[in-house]
Amino acid sequence: MTKTDDKVMIQVKDLKKSFGDNEVLKGIDGTVKSGQVICVIGPSGSGKSTFLRCLNLLENPTSGEVLFDGKDMTKLTHSEIAGLGARMGMVFQNFNLFPNMTVLENLKLSPKKVKHLSDEDATKISLDLLDRVGLKNKADVYPSSLSGGQAQRVAMARALAMNPEVMLFDEPTSALDPEMVGEVLSVMQELANEGMTMVVVTHEMGFAKKVADQVWFMADGYIQEKSDPETMFENPQTERAQDFINKIITD
Amino acid sequence: MKVNVQNTSMLHYWKYFADGLKYTLIISIVGSIIGIILGVLLALMRISKFKPFSWFSISYTEVVRGTPMMVQVLLVYFGLGVLVNIPALTAGIIAVSLNSGAYVSEIIRGGIASVDKGQSEAAKSLGLSKKDAMVSVILPQAFKNIWPALGNEFITIIKESSIVSIIGVTDIVYELNIVRADTYRGVSPIVVAMVMYFVLSFTLTRVLNYFERKMNHD
Ligand SMILES: Nc1ncnc2c1ncn2[C@@H]1O[C@H](COP(=O)(O)OP(=O)(O)O)[C@@H](O)[C@H]1O
Ligand SMILES: [Mg+2]
Repeated sequence: MTKTDDKVMIQVKDLKKSFGDNEVLKGIDGTVKSGQVICVIGPSGSGKSTFLRCLNLLENPTSGEVLFDGKDMTKLTHSEIAGLGARMGMVFQNFNLFPNMTVLENLKLSPKKVKHLSDEDATKISLDLLDRVGLKNKADVYPSSLSGGQAQRVAMARALAMNPEVMLFDEPTSALDPEMVGEVLSVMQELANEGMTMVVVTHEMGFAKKVADQVWFMADGYIQEKSDPETMFENPQTERAQDFINKIITD
Repeated sequence: MKVNVQNTSMLHYWKYFADGLKYTLIISIVGSIIGIILGVLLALMRISKFKPFSWFSISYTEVVRGTPMMVQVLLVYFGLGVLVNIPALTAGIIAVSLNSGAYVSEIIRGGIASVDKGQSEAAKSLGLSKKDAMVSVILPQAFKNIWPALGNEFITIIKESSIVSIIGVTDIVYELNIVRADTYRGVSPIVVAMVMYFVLSFTLTRVLNYFERKMNHD
């Protein structure tokens, strides 16, 4: 578990999101403090991805508020939202590396275009980050030649190149072969240990147990329960969560 | 009694065919280049949030695709002819460009749509502007996806541009008719023209395939 100070990083108030008639989020409330690691678990289709995507406005919430550093993001202008990319990083299930660029170019693109760093500075930052995820030797290859685990580590490095204050992870290990899950989780754990604020949607209960400060259980469009990992996995307080945890354990 | 002493071998007429080749190439190359520029503009207008742009692009494309190229060539030549006196070659180039612009824009639009949605989401999550995402991430991938379709369009232009002979542009087909009239030989000039078109398209196909392979590093 990581140390957290009391600064509120993200506050979500009565967040709702519908796609047409399909109300996916029916009223989400939650607070993420600086340095906290929140793991979001729940059955598939319960709106975990939608919730995460509402945090960095890849989806526009139907109603409610998402306060980031005190500002209501749902009321930002387009250019302010773009500026957000510098402050909230996201890691996707399918990596979404840019296949038309080398690994190094993937990392350098945003620091150069958004932060207007020189090529030299961007290269230095990028190589340091690749080193950190153990992939400096892959700087000049194209993403298609990477394994899934390597691709996801590059994707993390790419997000970190913008020096974000919060990292969002949407099932970062779900598309990986089992033997590659570990290398990705260990980079995430390192990140958590360094004090990064993280919101992680995951099915990796081992990771959640070890790293999370709080586990949020989502089902039916609500966060049904927020507990510390021990309570959530050993002694869940709600029936919905009990069913879910029992099911995973028996699987 | 007069004997036909004229040399009617096709070799003797090579200059006619060479001249025709020149104009076919001019029209095809200039038409393709303007067509691509026009196509990119129309595709961007089509996906623009500014509705009049989008409507214009849709209507333009539909009209061009829904009418025969021959009629379009006639309209440009005689229609513009009412306002200004333009040479047949210019009219031909304008008509071919306007026509291929519509087809190319559809190809490019399809190419943009074929790029995985995750790509623009990743770009957005990294803070890239729409323009930067388009230029650095989406269009390069779209272009790679549409390369074969674009190549097809170039080949279509070479072949279909033969229609401009009806307004008097002296391309391969125009020259073929002259040689036929001159030699009273009905078939040989046609075969020569056919071989010329085939060699052109075949060569272009090879060249395009070469570039396609080169682009496939990823
Ligand atoms: N872009 C979208 N358009 C329409 N429906 C969507 C869209 N994204 C998600 N949904 C729907 O929202 C529900 C929740 O999806 P999601 O947030 O991906 O769940 P989870 O990540 O928990 O599996 C699903 O029923 C899904 O079909
Ligand atoms: Mg999901």
